[in-house]
Amino acid sequence: MPPADLIFSAPATLADALGELAGGEDVIAMGGGTSVGLLLKNDLLQPRKIVWLARIPELRRLAASTAGELALGATVTLRELARSAAAGRQFPALAYAAGRVGNPRVRAVATVGGALAHSDARQDLPPILYALQATVRIQGPQGAREVPVAEFHTGFMETVLAEDELVTQVVIPAVAGRRAAYARFTPGSHDDYPTVSAAASIVRDGDGRITSAVLALGGVGRTPLLVPAASGLAGTVPGPHEVQAVAAAAEAAAEPYDDQRGSARYKKAMAGEWAARVLRACLDPGAPPVPDLVAG
Amino acid sequence: MKLSFTLNGEEVEVAAETGALLVDLIRDLGLTGTKEACGVGVCGLCTVLVDDLPVSSCLYLAACVDGADVWTVEGLARREPGLIQAFAEHEGMQCGICTPGQVVAAAALARENPGATEAEIREHQAGNLCRCTGYQTIAASVEAYLAAR
Amino acid sequence: MPEVFRGRDDARAKASGAARYVGDVSLPGMLHVAVVRSLLPHARIAGIDTKLAEAADGVAGVFTAADVNPAPYGRSVRDIPILARGKVRFAGERIAAVVAESRRAAEAAAALVEVTYEDLPAVLSAEEAITPDAPAVHEEPWSYPRAAVRPGDGQNMQSRVVHGSPEAVEAALAASDHVIDGTYTTPSGHQGYLEPQACVAAVDGSRLRIWATNKSPYRLRSQLAECLGLDPASIEIQPGPLGGDFGGKGSPMDIPLCAELARLTGRPVKLVLRYTEDLTATNPRHPARIRIRAGCDAGGRLTAVEVRALLNGGAYAGFKPLANVSLHGVEECTLAYHVPALYLETVIAYTNTVPRGHMRSPGSPQSAFAIESALDELADLASLDRAEFRRRNLVRPGEPSVTGKVWAEARGAPTLDAAVEQARLSQAQAPPGWRRGTGVAVYAREAPGMAATSVRLIPVQGGRIRAEVPVPETGTGSHTVIRNLLAAGLGVSAADIDVVHVGTGDLPGDPGVGGSRVTVGMSEALDRAARAWRERGGPGEPVEIRSGPDAGGGAPPPAVSSYCAQVAQVAVDLVTGQVKVLEILSAVDVGRIVHPAGHQMQIDGGTVMGYGFACLEDLAEDDGQVTAANLGEFRLPVMADIPALRTVLVEGGQGVTSANVKPVGELTNVPVAAAIANAVADATGCRIRDLPVTAEKVYWALRDRAEAERRQK
Repeated sequence: MPPADLIFSAPATLADALGELAGGEDVIAMGGGTSVGLLLKNDLLQPRKIVWLARIPELRRLAASTAGELALGATVTLRELARSAAAGRQFPALAYAAGRVGNPRVRAVATVGGALAHSDARQDLPPILYALQATVRIQGPQGAREVPVAEFHTGFMETVLAEDELVTQVVIPAVAGRRAAYARFTPGSHDDYPTVSAAASIVRDGDGRITSAVLALGGVGRTPLLVPAASGLAGTVPGPHEVQAVAAAAEAAAEPYDDQRGSARYKKAMAGEWAARVLRACLDPGAPPVPDLVAG
Repeated sequence: MKLSFTLNGEEVEVAAETGALLVDLIRDLGLTGTKEACGVGVCGLCTVLVDDLPVSSCLYLAACVDGADVWTVEGLARREPGLIQAFAEHEGMQCGICTPGQVVAAAALARENPGATEAEIREHQAGNLCRCTGYQTIAASVEAYLAAR
Repeated sequence: MPEVFRGRDDARAKASGAARYVGDVSLPGMLHVAVVRSLLPHARIAGIDTKLAEAADGVAGVFTAADVNPAPYGRSVRDIPILARGKVRFAGERIAAVVAESRRAAEAAAALVEVTYEDLPAVLSAEEAITPDAPAVHEEPWSYPRAAVRPGDGQNMQSRVVHGSPEAVEAALAASDHVIDGTYTTPSGHQGYLEPQACVAAVDGSRLRIWATNKSPYRLRSQLAECLGLDPASIEIQPGPLGGDFGGKGSPMDIPLCAELARLTGRPVKLVLRYTEDLTATNPRHPARIRIRAGCDAGGRLTAVEVRALLNGGAYAGFKPLANVSLHGVEECTLAYHVPALYLETVIAYTNTVPRGHMRSPGSPQSAFAIESALDELADLASLDRAEFRRRNLVRPGEPSVTGKVWAEARGAPTLDAAVEQARLSQAQAPPGWRRGTGVAVYAREAPGMAATSVRLIPVQGGRIRAEVPVPETGTGSHTVIRNLLAAGLGVSAADIDVVHVGTGDLPGDPGVGGSRVTVGMSEALDRAARAWRERGGPGEPVEIRSGPDAGGGAPPPAVSSYCAQVAQVAVDLVTGQVKVLEILSAVDVGRIVHPAGHQMQIDGGTVMGYGFACLEDLAEDDGQVTAANLGEFRLPVMADIPALRTVLVEGGQGVTSANVKPVGELTNVPVAAAIANAVADATGCRIRDLPVTAEKVYWALRDRAEAERRQK
């Protein structure tokens, strides 16, 4: 259970929050509390103090620029992201991913920044953010910095954040002609974590030649997995053979665990299959719909 | 710590330990309609509304409701008789233990997506487990509630 | 029946949060309990250090086996200690109890109790447990009161039940045109009632009051009296609703402990389990390994069936209520059919895992999966349509069933026909590119006999009638059924009747809820009560009726059976193995339906529970520890998971008593798994013989088959 004498703080500004976090490693930031709340309840986290970020207006802003870039404040909730008209238009796969996390109670309070900071490879948001080449903006007492989202996670519940740093924003760039897809392969119960997930984005030039291809997988390792082999598609007009080669590389790179959702062997095979499916969904807008896969 | 918030439409001031969970605070106030079962935010029995949003109160620090507008099933039942009427008329329950959570979830859906389709209703209520009914009467109750609103 | 009575009286209270359950009970001066549980599956308790816990804030006391009554308890076999004495037999077993001013204080102090263990070799599977050299879970299991085993019966046996002649079966199989030999396995699973088990116990002088999530209050009273050496009349089990049962709330569970703690502290105590404790330390379903050998002639008529079932009973046998300490569902798994030569052997073993109990139609989901899969495989060997194969073998009217009874009627054929016919009208749609499949399964069940029960009707001002009943409403809609039966019998509006569950001090008795007993068991009593009321010629004195075999209830009625036939429509992604169950159609053989909405919810709820068993639920263990220890890991079906549910009511059936009712609560959850596995086999040519049917299993089965085909070329 949360310590009865827990200190609870709800600062109104980012500067105040950062000041409090500088208080030591036993001071923990909390967004929606869906991760922190569970850890507190099970005595897996026993902080001295919780700094609740939900009352900081500047962190809650969701802004779409005229160029199409989407800037998500760290405490924008998954619900807000899922319902955002701008996200639905520009990044439908991202909006879909946000709208499938957990259940409505989770989405109502869970935050984008909190989701990233929690760092569990099974989460829905990271793979599609990787595929969209989002940037994570971070602030600490030393100042601000930016990290490509694909470099943000370093392990299970481990990120590049220092104890006294916070995610302030996640920025998804607008890339002309980019088509992205997210698939969460959940053959068991609908609301569960996926067995594996896959996200991809493709940009093509006027001749149909790939100028950018990004592929990321979830649930196949200690962190979300960027598959560098996808960039090998650049400069090509890919057919099934090229897609299959990238899928094979994805399968080879995947190092999943056995759990209730599948054995490591099965997840590895599925990593390859779903990598191929999201790539195909990006490459072929006319392809028949696949359950639990959204492209756009 | 002292919490000042609106509970079922009334201003209240409650003393609580900082580490208290919202479900325990609510139940200690005698509002036992909100239940705890799974303790991991999956079953939905502990659902309450905080600022019109559904929340798993078994994982929500009570401290977070300071200044907020909180509604439990008891308050929603008084405020929205049509909600209870719909569940009663369509018999959206058997043992009843999940029913308060289903009711609060339906109230949340009405606020988020009042024109929800059958598929959207099922997707939304998927966050609330029921082991007895097979879900059909619950879906019908929520549909009727939304239609009558 | 003059009219269909609508609605239910508990709806508003339940929907508005006003209904109060055991977890909501609060008494002045009440203390809270937290249980210290074993971390190991098998170990000697070398020491329990309670000093730190006793000194913790708010703690009233810390108690171990030395403090409590040493007599073991149980529903039939008495082998369960209130607190572990000397050794622990499963991970999760109760070792000590902390009682404190708040639940938080109790749980914090429980974490401070230090137990020192001497590890013992643990036996975790039934297969291993029955080998001669397996570690003994109990040194002398035959020594417990009502044990169903004797010395020399075999290592770690809880029970062994056999029916029929193995020689006759062997001879018949040898002479058969087609024989199937298949072994089918099913996992542990939890009842998944959403109300955690809870108890409040209060001692006032010589009176013990109990509020508990227990569905058999009079049995509980007897069990407590016997275990604690009390006069049953001094024990009052308080009335109240349960938040779901499904077989998991029929044992004394933690109630004897709470009663002792109330005695020891002199104050009321309350224990509410955390759901992890429900999943890991109550009484989930028996995992099973069932081998079926079945034969038929060229015309598809069964010649013989042999069922050899090995079930994992866990560390204690005391959670099973039948005198033979077995599960009658396994014994009756061929009930739907005429089987000329039959041999059934059910062995239940002790292991160092959580003790197993009853779960909705105990033994039937496991054995129906086995038999209905095997019959499908046999039909294929005989090159017969799978539904037609079953039709040729259903019990025919006038034929005795496997239990020896001749049923009032045998409606397997019209039920199966209705299912097959209506299934053709399915509008289920598969995702593009997925392979469709259809599967059928049949199940039959005998209605239980008359219950020895009681009811009291009291006139209340304003023309209302208060009907006092000895059974709790556990979520089956039983109280509404009772209300409606009374309304029909009395010729009044259901709105004029209040059904009230009263405590054990207020009515003589009842065997408790379960076994689909209430509608059938109470209808006789209600019928007689209504007649007695009407014969008084007007309002006046209360009417109290006892009925059942011990109350001169008359000649036993003819045996009544219920059939259920289900057809599952599935779609399979042949690349990933993912199975979408598109639709389950249930044809149910019914008599009179007393509460239509409730009846339909039993059908739908049962089907959804069957779907969970078939596709989702696996209470997985590792090294004797349940790893699926919360509802995030042990996943129950959610509204978005379930297939389209269709129902065909095969009306006109002959039920029991003048109410003409048939039970429905333990019917539709049973054949689902086989219907789905059969549909998957239809779609893929692959037979999944282990539940749950997961995408992964189908994936490997498809690859194995493709590999085998490649090698053949």
